Amino acid sequence: MDDAKILPRKGGTHIDSTMKNTLRTADKPSPTPAQPLTAEARPVQQQQRRNPPIAGELTAIAQAQQGDGASFEILYNMHKRRVYSLCLRMLGNVAEAEDLTQEAFLQLHRKIGTFRGDSAFSTWLHRMAVNVVLMHLRKKGLPLVSLEETLEPAQDDGPRKDFGTRDLTLSGSIDRVTLERAVEELPPGYRLVFVLHDVEGYEHNEIAAMLQCSIGNSKSQLHKARMRLRSLLRQKANGKGAA
Amino acid sequence: MTSNRSRTSIECEEFQRQLPEFFDSGQDLLVHRHVQSCQNCSSLVRDLEYIAAQAKLLLPIHDPSPAVWENIHNALTRQQKDDDKSS
Repeated sequence: MDDAKILPRKGGTHIDSTMKNTLRTADKPSPTPAQPLTAEARPVQQQQRRNPPIAGELTAIAQAQQGDGASFEILYNMHKRRVYSLCLRMLGNVAEAEDLTQEAFLQLHRKIGTFRGDSAFSTWLHRMAVNVVLMHLRKKGLPLVSLEETLEPAQDDGPRKDFGTRDLTLSGSIDRVTLERAVEELPPGYRLVFVLHDVEGYEHNEIAAMLQCSIGNSKSQLHKARMRLRSLLRQKANGKGAA
Repeated sequence: MTSNRSRTSIECEEFQRQLPEFFDSGQDLLVHRHVQSCQNCSSLVRDLEYIAAQAKLLLPIHDPSPAVWENIHNALTRQQKDDDKSS
């Protein structure tokens, strides 16, 4: 494969010594949050936990920015699983998730020259992927935060519905596969907020900006998502759920 | 007895109404006065905290099919050819 020949980027950004320093700093995430609503605003520890530095990534970024196709393929292989898993969890559909993974990496190829290392590369890329998914959902005309779910919560969703005595607690009873399946069963609006907040680690102010809803709405949707998950997981724990 | 039950219910309702904000504040809800006196809300808080904690442990486990890279590669090749023609 001669990607190196087919992917020269005209006007690709060169990395000067200042930028190299910035990129090195990005590998040890910046100690000072920048502005709200950006990936940089997320707690450093959280970014590091979610997006640990990857060996060889800085070199691949620098070379891909100069048009090296093989380095772009290396970046794809480093990040494809994370980007695809994010798309799949947000969409719940394999074909759409693959299409949007493709679109996210094509967008990365177009924009990689603008990456300046202000945040970890993976944080920057994942935010790009989230935006690709949200734009896709908007184009389909799907409400990102369901009004119906907000105004008329289902039986298990309402915060005032849980007054009965319960014996079982979930603690220790959930395995990863069971939780993944339960997340897939969430209504789309709940699933988006849950994946963005609890799985991907975005803050409510970031989610509100992305979904164009209020922060309170984001908190409310997240709470309802967790309540619905609790109900689903209890059913599964009792053997009544997944057939 | 009935009034005790309804008072408890009102306390539960008020506590659960505020739960989204309580969770977001990061405070330790298990030491909240109502949680310490209400088994039901204590169970609810433990479950929701457990779900949030488990979600953070979900790893990216899914790989896209090889066709995804092939499509990306083909698209970039086409784009390159178009760029070459126009220059």
